Amino acid sequence: MLKRVIAAFAVGLALASQALAADAPSEIKIGTLYASSGRYASISMPVHSAIKLWVEQKNAEGGVYVKAFDKKIPIKLVAYDDQSNTATAATLYNQLVTQDKVDLLVADSGSVLTAPAVTIARDHKMFLFDQTGTGASFFSKDNPYIALMADPVSTIWPKPIADFLTKDGPALGIKKVAILYSTNEFTGTQATAVRKFIKEANAPIEIVYDQGVPTETTNYTVILNNIRAAQPDAVIHLGYAPNDIAFLRNVQDVGIKFNMLFCIYPGLETELLEKNVGAKGLQHVFTYVPPSEMDYPVNFGMKMADYRKAWDKKYPDGKIEFGFNAVAGYTTALVIEKTLSVATSLDQMELRRAVFSLSGNLKTLDGTFALDEMGGQVGELTPLGQLQLNDHGHIKFVAVYPHDVATGKPVYPKP
Amino acid sequence: MPSLARHTLFIAVPLLALFAILPGVYNNHLLLFNFVIFLILAQGVNIIYGFTGYLPFGYVGFFGAGAYGFAIMVMHFQSPAPLAVVVAGLVGVALGLLLAPLLRLTGAYFAIANLAAALAVLHFVANPALESITKGPYGVALNGTFNPTMAYNGALIILALTLGIVVFLRNSSFGLALQAVREDAFSASMAGVNVLKMRMIAWLASALVAGFAGGVFAWYVSVFYPDNVFSADFSIFAIVFALFGGVATITGPIVGVVILYGIYNLIGFTTPQYFQLIYGLLIIGLVLFLPAGLVSLATRRGWYVP
Repeated sequence: MLKRVIAAFAVGLALASQALAADAPSEIKIGTLYASSGRYASISMPVHSAIKLWVEQKNAEGGVYVKAFDKKIPIKLVAYDDQSNTATAATLYNQLVTQDKVDLLVADSGSVLTAPAVTIARDHKMFLFDQTGTGASFFSKDNPYIALMADPVSTIWPKPIADFLTKDGPALGIKKVAILYSTNEFTGTQATAVRKFIKEANAPIEIVYDQGVPTETTNYTVILNNIRAAQPDAVIHLGYAPNDIAFLRNVQDVGIKFNMLFCIYPGLETELLEKNVGAKGLQHVFTYVPPSEMDYPVNFGMKMADYRKAWDKKYPDGKIEFGFNAVAGYTTALVIEKTLSVATSLDQMELRRAVFSLSGNLKTLDGTFALDEMGGQVGELTPLGQLQLNDHGHIKFVAVYPHDVATGKPVYPKP
Repeated sequence: MPSLARHTLFIAVPLLALFAILPGVYNNHLLLFNFVIFLILAQGVNIIYGFTGYLPFGYVGFFGAGAYGFAIMVMHFQSPAPLAVVVAGLVGVALGLLLAPLLRLTGAYFAIANLAAALAVLHFVANPALESITKGPYGVALNGTFNPTMAYNGALIILALTLGIVVFLRNSSFGLALQAVREDAFSASMAGVNVLKMRMIAWLASALVAGFAGGVFAWYVSVFYPDNVFSADFSIFAIVFALFGGVATITGPIVGVVILYGIYNLIGFTTPQYFQLIYGLLIIGLVLFLPAGLVSLATRRGWYVP
């Protein structure tokens, strides 16, 4: 009798595992968009290239491990080109969901091209892997279908700058601060956050200049003179890469020297800025220290040096810059890979649960992945650093704040 | 049967019926919605360019203003969406009135001034100082009114209105007078046509439909930035579609949207890497061989095109 029961159990188990294997899809479809042209191409292509690199790598290994089916399954990347056009992006996101019926939906890079996906994902009850869309309006308690993968939300990102100004600033002699920002969601929200953090700190820091300019601004000569007239000790410029390039070139042309000058993109897209502004123009500029300079300890995926090697091998022509966005795309891919390895099904809410279960535990080359309750990224913070020239005249990063990750002292005032 | 009834019955009604049925058989509803939006905008361009000769490069200004009119009504007055769409149309008209002095310009000067005006409206809306009203550059999220099905039906109603205006212009002495103004304003005026009034009415009608379109677009997408709804692509697409089909007709812009936007999406879904090449070649071909649009293939042979 016992033998029969065991035999029946064994047959049942075999049948069940066969049924499970039969249910497993032949591929996992990941749907995403990229912008090969238009104003968001420079931030979209590195992110997309990173995902392609990961897909190729994983498929060469036989696919990614999917816990729901307890086996490795190849990935099929379904990617459309939205050409930085939001109406096109909306149609294509819908195509991915309704026609291609992708298993996982990944947004294009940046808030503007992510915005159409937020609504569509929510409408179709698809969980959105938001790569770098940091817009605060995306994250709300009533929308469970989104999480930010690879950038901190704009409302907390600039905290290290504000903390440095309010905590270390007074001792260094920083009393007056000027804020100049481009009026778009990304940098506008960062400006609001800097202002808020400074005011909340109750430090002896006064904001003597606070001005927004259109994102299309390419000449800052008059603005620079206005800032100089306010005699600030520190100037915080928050703009996109083209803004930073124009601003830093104008600073050199006009010959103004600010004791402290912060810009976002010398840290995020260093190669691009160095090409366009020159190493001398970047010397002593304060910026975010990208993960590529921090070498964070990882518990999943490649380390920074290995990733850089893999990137150079796949994209040897250097046409797509290796920078912050290239790391962001790979980070998204790692979160997806880890999610599939812990999710018990491909149900969208289960994917969400799996993504949130990684919060605080997943450590990638981008730092610690951590989400708030609404899906906003609160980990992966970039420390404040300063660009200094090494003995060979090349740019190097010196992390200056927070102190626990600092690699040197800030040079203040600028010599 | 009078041509007005014929055009309504055989062009407008079948088109509306087709787009009313399509969501039941094809489930990329947003693609269908975008078709409807571009049909409205291309016909809007047709009203002002086809019948008066004013090329509105900044047509998106009305569209974006309508979208923000909708958003402000919903955010600050908790207005129901249909009422907010009506207000969006009125915001378009108000902007049309504000920009009416531009009609003193003609040709390229008008086109450039109109483009500049649209940019000015964008920067006004996106100004951080107006954050409490428009949310400035930080974008709006209108979760409360989100209802894609109703928004799609709203877009169909606006398309019906727009087609009604174009059918009227194509079959009325008013439309004929407008075309006379387009050809030679001075002669038209000598013949007793009130040039200023005519142009103004066409301009405001065109602004009204774009404002409505912006309103339903905001209703459908519900999360957007100024850059989304003031994107120059809307103007460019609407103008190219209208020109591709042929302006001053009812069918031209419809043919333009269906073919060109159809191909646009087909390339986008199948061979996105050749997108610029294929689309660019198509447009070059149009400019070189069919400058008066596809309908000129028929009109050259003396055939009547409604």
